[in-house]
Amino acid sequence: MKIYVCVKHVPDSAATITIRDGSRIEENITFLMNPYDEHAITEAAGLRSQLPDAEVVAVCVAGPAAENTLRSAMAMGADRSILVVADRQIDSMLTARALQAAIEADGTPHLILAGKESIDAEGMQTMFRLARYFGMPAATNAVKISLEADGAVVESEKEAGSRDILRLTLPCVIGAGRGLNTPRYPTLPDIIKARKREVKKIDLADLDVSSPGGKTEILSLAPVAENREPREIAGDAAAAARELVRILKEEAKVL
Amino acid sequence: MSKKYDAIIIGAGVIGTPIAYELAKKGYKTLNVDKLPDAGEGSTAGSCAIVRAHYSTEDGVAFAYEGFKYWNDWENYLENVEDEKGLAKFMKTGSLLIKSQGHDWRKVKKHYDAVGVDYKEMSNEEVLKMVPVVDMHEFWPVKRPEDPSFFDDPAQMLEGALFCPEGGYVNDPALSAHNIMRAAEKYGAEFMFNAEVVDIRSQDGRVAGVTLKDGTQIDAPIVVNVGGPHSFKVNQMADGVWEGCNIKTKALRHEVMHCPSPDGYDYLNDGYHMSDGDIGCYYRPEVGNMFLIGSEDPECDPQEWVDPDEFYAGKGGPGRDNQLTDAQWKAQCYRLARRIPSLQVPNQPKGVCDLYDCSDDWIPVYDKSDLDGFYMAIGTSGNQYKNAPVVGAMMADLIDAGEKQGLDHDKTPFQFKMRYTGRVLDVGFFSRKREINYDSSFSVNG
Repeated sequence: MKIYVCVKHVPDSAATITIRDGSRIEENITFLMNPYDEHAITEAAGLRSQLPDAEVVAVCVAGPAAENTLRSAMAMGADRSILVVADRQIDSMLTARALQAAIEADGTPHLILAGKESIDAEGMQTMFRLARYFGMPAATNAVKISLEADGAVVESEKEAGSRDILRLTLPCVIGAGRGLNTPRYPTLPDIIKARKREVKKIDLADLDVSSPGGKTEILSLAPVAENREPREIAGDAAAAARELVRILKEEAKVL
Repeated sequence: MSKKYDAIIIGAGVIGTPIAYELAKKGYKTLNVDKLPDAGEGSTAGSCAIVRAHYSTEDGVAFAYEGFKYWNDWENYLENVEDEKGLAKFMKTGSLLIKSQGHDWRKVKKHYDAVGVDYKEMSNEEVLKMVPVVDMHEFWPVKRPEDPSFFDDPAQMLEGALFCPEGGYVNDPALSAHNIMRAAEKYGAEFMFNAEVVDIRSQDGRVAGVTLKDGTQIDAPIVVNVGGPHSFKVNQMADGVWEGCNIKTKALRHEVMHCPSPDGYDYLNDGYHMSDGDIGCYYRPEVGNMFLIGSEDPECDPQEWVDPDEFYAGKGGPGRDNQLTDAQWKAQCYRLARRIPSLQVPNQPKGVCDLYDCSDDWIPVYDKSDLDGFYMAIGTSGNQYKNAPVVGAMMADLIDAGEKQGLDHDKTPFQFKMRYTGRVLDVGFFSRKREINYDSSFSVNG
């Protein structure tokens, strides 16, 4: 039985991001595994022990540098990995088709996990498109997954304090939320073992996938201007509190 | 309008504030000017604030051991001043110096004996009892994870450690500087923030005062450069000062990592500060049950000398700006993971990236200058936090001897008597005119 985990190679949220050519992120900064995907990998490694002869395979569609992210995925528990090498930015429609083709070429999925979204594009589309192409049910923002003989019971967080409990037939696609687990980060022995595991590389062109006509292009990217200036709120505690409430209401507009 | 003081101190970090405190106690009317909004907000805030005694020279050991006494007696040192932010705490975990080829520990042991430092020799088994998560194999020489031999199985065992029970760290270095500022204010010391010095004025071979970015001129017959990573820029503003230093300072970029402690090990409460030259790291507990992992600057690691203004503005690009890098994150965490095989290393780097005010031989310059009235407490090279209160006392005595008693410190070096240990230190050791001191470790170890 195979559990596929789709992972994305994203910029470190703490990095100083610069935009090149108006439409792409300068790639010399730290890139790492999308944080939601860490929950997906950790969950897959836990579920593996519940399934006979289960194997966890991490799959990524990105440039060659994403091998590092797949090494991280294997250090965190994936048995092996597949990198679909794309030499350009592609949209979620094509990414989902590439993931589908790579998974189909590899084996029959019992379950497909992914992060509920990526922290760079935040499109929240790829996992649903993948489910659609496979004809599988999907659930997102999973905070609990229980595998049963003929399905998966997923607790899906809607908003704070509210959960749907869903029963999905298998195979299915599940998007991991932050509440699903605590990521199990690798020890050095895990990292050493992952160095010897396989990263199978497939060229996107060799997968023979194409968009069904439509596509999304990024016309331009612009950095968010950080313009934070500290301001001291003077006066006694009561006056300072009043001023703080006024700022939160009138300037920040969060109250 | 021109204001006048007895002494202007450029910088209000953990070295600048005790100099103000000690000078104010001697009756000097002092003003600290700092370009940041509060005391200790510059490179002091990024300090690992380790309090340890092992240094490569006997004077270095004595100086640090003297510092222990101040941290141990913090409230009394501050004369029980109240600080609205609370007081910094000395976390006396004890300090383990791993015996390795990365440290000249035999020399340290000799210095410990000479100075009278309280310590105990530990076997590997005793270290394991204290820190059950460690693997006491030898991993020397220090390597980077890019080097395939990094992952080779070790063959030899280490030889144990020197344990100094009085060592540890200060939990909030910025707050410690703030505490000293509040203590200094009780003696009339003044502090001016958001004030950047752009010129140091002099007349007839003597310093006359400073000019701020907004054009404000402040006069004083004594100016002390405690500019931290900006020290070389401040020296260059003063006539002949930079040129008159045989030992120069530069700003060195430095990354410190925060990695979670292994499951089930309460490092925050049960752990020790450790200096581990075998893997080129030092580490201590950090809030959140983290390992704070610093680098001992092994030769295989790149050194990035940067412009401090560009660095703090986040400019210069990856590896030169104030963001952690993935390569160094892996280098420092994986090195510690050799010592602690159960350490789990997250994918995202977390920690602190700041600057050392590094001197040519990693030993500070505590001295007068070629411009009368202009003094320096610079080149702290990442290893002087623990000494800061002692430096304050020493600099105040040096300045007083030069200005009130007419001592020519270059000809007859000032002899500083330490308050607690009673040892006398030849302050000429820290002279700007010295030749490079090859006894130095040329690293953060000093």
